[in-house]
Amino acid sequence: MIILKDIERYYSNGAQRTWVLRKINFTVKKGEFVTIMGPSGSGKSTLLNIIGMLDKPDSGEYFFLDEPVHNFNEKRRTELHKHTIGFVFQAYHLIDELNVYENIEMPLLYRGVSKSERQSMVADMLDRFNIVGKKDLFPSQLSGGQQQLVGIARAIVAKPKLLLADEPTGNLHTSQGEMTMDLLRTLHGEGMTVIQVTHNEKFAAYGTRVIQIEDGFVRSDSNV
Amino acid sequence: MFQNNLKIVWRTLRKNSTYSLINVVGLAIGMAAVLLIYRIVDFELGFNKNFENYDRIVRVVRHDRNAEGENWTTCMPLPAANAVEQAVPQFEEFSRSRDAWPTLTVPDPNGGAPLKKFNQPDDMVSFFVEPAYLKIFKLKLLEGDPNTALRDNGSVILTKKWAEKCFGDAHAAMSQTVIMDNLVTLTVRGVMAEMPANCDFPIGCLISYATLEANSRNYFYGEDNWGACSSNNQAFALLKSADQLTAANEVVRTVGEKEYKMEGGLENEQKVHELQPLSDLHYNAELYNPTGRIVTKNRLRILSFIGLLVLAMACFNFINLSTAQATQRAKEVGVRKTLGVSKGQLIGQFMGETATVTVISVLLGLTLAVLCLPLLKLISDVPADAPFVMLLQTWGFIAAMAVAVTLLAGFYPSIVLAGFDPIEALKTNTMSRLTAGSFLMKKQGLVREGLVVLQFAIASAFIVGTIVTLSQLEYIRQKDLGFDKNLVYSFNFNSDSASMAKMPVLRQQLLQLPAVESVSLCSDQPSSGNTWANNFAFPASGEDAPFNVSLKYADASYQKTYGLRLVAGKWLEPSDTLKEVVVNQTLLRKLGISNPDEVVGQELRIGSRRKVRISGVVEDFHSHSIHQPLEPMLIGSRKIYYNWAGIKIKPDNLAATTAAIQKAYDEVYPEQVFSGSFFDETIAQFYEDEKRFSNTCKGFGLLAVFIACLGLFGLSIHAASRRTKEIGVRKVLGASISSITGLLARDFLKLVLISLVVGFPIAWYFMDKWLADFTFHVDMNWAVFAIAGFAAMAVAFLTISFQSVKAALANPVKSLRSE
Repeated sequence: MIILKDIERYYSNGAQRTWVLRKINFTVKKGEFVTIMGPSGSGKSTLLNIIGMLDKPDSGEYFFLDEPVHNFNEKRRTELHKHTIGFVFQAYHLIDELNVYENIEMPLLYRGVSKSERQSMVADMLDRFNIVGKKDLFPSQLSGGQQQLVGIARAIVAKPKLLLADEPTGNLHTSQGEMTMDLLRTLHGEGMTVIQVTHNEKFAAYGTRVIQIEDGFVRSDSNV
Repeated sequence: MFQNNLKIVWRTLRKNSTYSLINVVGLAIGMAAVLLIYRIVDFELGFNKNFENYDRIVRVVRHDRNAEGENWTTCMPLPAANAVEQAVPQFEEFSRSRDAWPTLTVPDPNGGAPLKKFNQPDDMVSFFVEPAYLKIFKLKLLEGDPNTALRDNGSVILTKKWAEKCFGDAHAAMSQTVIMDNLVTLTVRGVMAEMPANCDFPIGCLISYATLEANSRNYFYGEDNWGACSSNNQAFALLKSADQLTAANEVVRTVGEKEYKMEGGLENEQKVHELQPLSDLHYNAELYNPTGRIVTKNRLRILSFIGLLVLAMACFNFINLSTAQATQRAKEVGVRKTLGVSKGQLIGQFMGETATVTVISVLLGLTLAVLCLPLLKLISDVPADAPFVMLLQTWGFIAAMAVAVTLLAGFYPSIVLAGFDPIEALKTNTMSRLTAGSFLMKKQGLVREGLVVLQFAIASAFIVGTIVTLSQLEYIRQKDLGFDKNLVYSFNFNSDSASMAKMPVLRQQLLQLPAVESVSLCSDQPSSGNTWANNFAFPASGEDAPFNVSLKYADASYQKTYGLRLVAGKWLEPSDTLKEVVVNQTLLRKLGISNPDEVVGQELRIGSRRKVRISGVVEDFHSHSIHQPLEPMLIGSRKIYYNWAGIKIKPDNLAATTAAIQKAYDEVYPEQVFSGSFFDETIAQFYEDEKRFSNTCKGFGLLAVFIACLGLFGLSIHAASRRTKEIGVRKVLGASISSITGLLARDFLKLVLISLVVGFPIAWYFMDKWLADFTFHVDMNWAVFAIAGFAAMAVAFLTISFQSVKAALANPVKSLRSE
């Protein structure tokens, strides 16, 4: 599903280059649950952004579902990621001005889903995550765990092929974190490809494979 | 999608209610200003368009050039009118026209006092015209036959309103008799509809030209020579087609080439007739217009520009507040982008938000504008009751304005917002990162500061304009004009022999009133819009002087009544005919005579024959508005030209005095209509235009300052909230409230200071031009700019300090804890 070949990313600081990612090579197959680990500043978030097509590598090749993403212009990249990728963030990033229902509904709006279909898809999500009663609340009225629940619901409501999670438990208490990870595992069990970034060893164990990154290089890549 | 965006818009507006209020109020005021100005401009541009033949009607005018300069006049010497009529093949119709301001009385058939009497209202003009006039202007008659209505001596066409006033009903008025100016008996031969408000021909009645010719003595109808000229004698024509203007003009320019030369006149004088299209009539200040309501296109342009400035300032507020707030919305943008929204869609969303704010503002602005419509009379001629809101055209303009505002105000912020990098925007500490110093933020900061500078530059220019115009008006009010304009009540009377015979009676009765100090009869008050110029020679036996002298005829009490001051000799002795004259200082100066005593007792010649003795020299007084320079002047007694009475009265109980004056008049002249006015008010009317311009500066200046301050207020709230933590730390470290207030205010005051540097030269340039129009004017010294600068800084400081003090007073423990 994902093939990364010699991916490099750096920042130019005058004549000097600060490397963020160097010679990243790996493949992710459909249905995998990959955890990317590494210390702060090791480049793991940048890697996730590149995979999520929010950022571009400076060199190297990136194939997504056999499509050469590195050759795409911004419009085609946007089009591709809109239909195939869901994001979950550490800080949830719900839109404060929209309530739970509207937040979950938003990606469907951008995909041009019809109104009746939207209603049933959002209702499914609300049901599935047991938050029907909260659909009219605004993000500020929810706990962190609940917000992340909505965040995940929003990420998967349009049935993406790939779910990217950037430290999804980073802001949560342990119990809420476990709940979130259980959810990701369930989604994975249903066939979703998941890539997460985390610091937490315990939560890394929820995945099927761990890639360690340090100073921009892949240090190890092993199955759990 | 649309619904979803609308929800976001509404909730964003509510959440940031202060900013929203500033935006809506600012835009509403800006749009109200533009709507009002649109009202004026639309009204003025619609002038005379009611005439079907708008593009084919021309007026014959004359362009005079001589060594002293050039001058445009509407006057048509009688032979010139005849010559033009015959010479131009492109004319389909041609009519002479003569302005009149008649009084009308409805006589009692039994010979008693008149049944009704009317002055023509000030905003109406009547015309002596030929039958072709109806065809030129395509005037339709409600009653009467257009072919004969103006044919005979003694025929008149009344407007419907006049007909109803005189006879109760348009139809009943036909063939009835009215008496004009207590001199001429007229028979009503037609009734026509009223002219619209925006028309330079606010016709009261049309009197047949034959009537004027038959009563030429009473109406000072010009002599039959090429030299006699009055701007009231005009000529209008209808071209066969609009594209013949150039061809017709070529013919008209040749008329009178020989005759004017034979007439003599000043050295190197050239007089050439030209055609003025009707479309130029309302906008050409060089040429006389009987209504006096000329508005130059330039004035309309300035006015439109002022409106756009005010609106642009409101848009700047919107831009500034939107980009300042942008950081708070970065997250939303980031999220939307990770969901796959394109930049175009985001721009669309933010433009939609702007459009929503604009629509709310439009509605508020329209309400404001409608409420302010009556104020328009302070700066224009627009009648308050003309239709406005109900016009389709108005709504077209409103829609266009809304679109323009949305684009102007919304485009830049949309680009900024939609341009956020989602990765950057979604990092946890977005706020501090984005404000700290990324390139984009610095650029926006510069734009913001630039717009604030621009706003205050405009505002300070308006402040300077207001100060300069007000001080010039005050200068005019206080200026020693060389006469005493206060407490002189004056009225116009008929100068026919019957009326003149009764004048001594009236004069005697007036003098017996305890409040009356003196009564003077004259041809013209000391200051007016009239000029009566003649050639002259001094000494009497010498050659004509190289310049003309202005004449006024007045009696022996003129000096006392108007408080004129003599510098040599004596004032005129009582006399009915011209035996002696008083000259003014300018005349002596132009003749190169420095000692006034030297001329007293000597003779000068007026015209070609008449020799008169100089009895005294009067100190210069302003015989016109102070736009014009002082002119050489002669004053002599000549009863047959008197048609003004000036009455110096005592200051107490003016209303009772004027009522008593009118009563005396009505007793002596029961058949005539009284119309009196105070001299100082007449003079104030010379400066009506200046007063309007001053009011414009004042009104729009106030709006500009208010809008600029609104924006500054919003930005200061933003700055204070952004620096909450910094302020907390400083307070904990011992900073005083005043030092923190100063800290916050300093950045903004710096901008205001820069804006003064930008705004003042511009204001100086324009006001210098404005003042140059007056021959006598105040000087723009440093004090004007010091006051304006101080005012701008003070207002800005007050605006900012409100928020700064609040921030400085806040408990630091609170602001630091929340971090």
